[in-house]
Amino acid sequence: MLDFLMRRMLLMIPTLFIVSGISFFVIQAPPGDFVTAHVQRLEDRGQIVDREAIEAMRARYGLDQPAHVQYVRWIRSMFRGDLGMSFDWGAPVSRVIARRIPNSLIISLFSFLFVYAVAIPIGMLSATRQYSVADYFFTFVAFVGLGIPNFLFALVMLWVVYSMTGQVLIGLFSAEYVDAAWSWARFMDMLRHVWIPAIIVGTAGTAKIVRVMRASLLDELQKPYVMVARAKGLSRSHVNYKYPFRIAINPVVSTIGWTLPSLITGEMLVSLVLGLPTLAPIFLRALQMQDMYLAGGIVFVLTLLTLLGTLISDILLGWIDPRIRFSSM
Amino acid sequence: MATETADDVLSVHDLKSYFFSREGTLRAIDGLSFNLKAGKVLGIAGESGCGKSVTAQSILRILPRHGKTVSGQVLLTRDGKVTDLLALGEESSEIRRIRGKEIAMIFQEPMTSFSPVHTIGDQIIETIRLHRGLSKAQARASAIEILESVGMPHPSRTIDEYPFNLSGGMRQRAMIAMALSCNPRVLIADEPTTAVDVTIQAQVLELIRQMQAQLGMAVIMITHDLGVIAELADHVLIMYLGRGVEFGSVEQIFHNPKHPYTRGLLASIPKLQKGHTLVEPIKGAVPNPYDAPAGCPFHPRCPQFMQGTCEVTMPQVVEVEPGHWVACHLYGGEDQR
Repeated sequence: MLDFLMRRMLLMIPTLFIVSGISFFVIQAPPGDFVTAHVQRLEDRGQIVDREAIEAMRARYGLDQPAHVQYVRWIRSMFRGDLGMSFDWGAPVSRVIARRIPNSLIISLFSFLFVYAVAIPIGMLSATRQYSVADYFFTFVAFVGLGIPNFLFALVMLWVVYSMTGQVLIGLFSAEYVDAAWSWARFMDMLRHVWIPAIIVGTAGTAKIVRVMRASLLDELQKPYVMVARAKGLSRSHVNYKYPFRIAINPVVSTIGWTLPSLITGEMLVSLVLGLPTLAPIFLRALQMQDMYLAGGIVFVLTLLTLLGTLISDILLGWIDPRIRFSSM
Repeated sequence: MATETADDVLSVHDLKSYFFSREGTLRAIDGLSFNLKAGKVLGIAGESGCGKSVTAQSILRILPRHGKTVSGQVLLTRDGKVTDLLALGEESSEIRRIRGKEIAMIFQEPMTSFSPVHTIGDQIIETIRLHRGLSKAQARASAIEILESVGMPHPSRTIDEYPFNLSGGMRQRAMIAMALSCNPRVLIADEPTTAVDVTIQAQVLELIRQMQAQLGMAVIMITHDLGVIAELADHVLIMYLGRGVEFGSVEQIFHNPKHPYTRGLLASIPKLQKGHTLVEPIKGAVPNPYDAPAGCPFHPRCPQFMQGTCEVTMPQVVEVEPGHWVACHLYGGEDQR
């Protein structure tokens, strides 16, 4: 197991390199750079910027170097834990990200909990009562959930809540807590707001996991070991809990790996629509402004989080399934 | 088939188990009767799809979802007390006290018959604790003892192994240990040698014979292999399309087979004669069970088919010699619809 963990963690290093490289060059790909965008904005306001000042600015930011040199510099400083400076914010990227990331994580975490807490019992119900009214009902709801785009669902929810309660559900905190330090009261206030984005982000994922859980359990319920366990004299519910439920959960655990990235991207879209103070708005702005170190830093952090999530799902899977624990590890 | 006697431990009367699906009703068992004597081995033989396994599942009331036993009686005699298993609820505590304790079963696939994520010890100990009310430690000690008695190497270590770490033969030994762990009155072995290597088959049969002699239980040995029957059984029931066609002692069936189907089965066992292998297959195939033929179900394949009789009426069961019963128009008897 330890051996397996070490190997998995080592594998994360090249993955991070590749993702950071690709994202760096993609961010660089559009013509111009931050200085061009900055000058453009100044000129729009009627200011005249002379050439020398522009070149000086480029040199200061290191933007006069070729792209690969900039990349190597960026990566090198990353090893020292320095994600670079945000041109736009005039502050270290790490500080800009650190202020926003807890909110992103909170929404992702809550939608993650929502997805699995709702999907697993519904999947079990659908499988044990296959072709029942409940099965058809939840299958229908799941496909509707899968079919509605997140941003549209967010808009619909905004409208529904507004027309029913007169409240505009924008933001993650009530006005008095927006800039307050973390406290119990602020946490409770956050709980009152977080469920809407969590449900919106989680709906599509829930629908998928319900299908995975249902299919996997239907498979297990007709395995011979179920009949063997019944032949021993165990009651049906005891048999179900001890054997097929337990085994059918394995494929569901392995979905954690691909659920996390989709939750994170889903969270981005929904945050933009609902105006939540997460990474999403600053990421979008960084891309528009060609604030490449900030954009690159956000991609890097998101990649790292996704890889960690996959690692956790693999550890969980190895922990609950001896077939994995004893093989290729 | 066969008359009831006092030493019957299990007797099945006119059992009917059907499967209901969109394609229609499959009459997997359609009026089956037989008796099992205490301490004896009854072999049930027939081609694939004749309802052998469904018989076993009907007795224990563990049919798969779409299956249902629609009529009949399954009488279990325990110390003079007779219980009709079909009168008990499928999930009642009475039937659950009988499953695994009074009637235990060995399944065909030792690999998939164990949960892959629990150790074999876990699964054996569970049965022991359920029926014998032992503490965890006692049940474990008992499980190790049983594993040892079925010839499992290093039982105190293998008890903590997962099924996928054991060989096919060892898994089948574990399966047998699990079935025997509560000293059942009746052991049903459903094709116990089909899924294991030829070399292991003989060992598994020998083990079942040995345990049967040691524990004195009655055994129902379900197989498509008449060689297995000849080796182990005291009595034989030949099944065709959900019905019993012939019942008798192993000598009667092998030396004086009456039903054309039994004769066909015996003739289809490969024999070596003058260096040639002679096999006489039964012509045709088992009919579609959704659409069983009228009259005697075997008539489309029967070499002694009698026009005007066999395809019209169902043959009655006749006793052709003491203890030897056959359902065939060749041996007369009153007509029965």
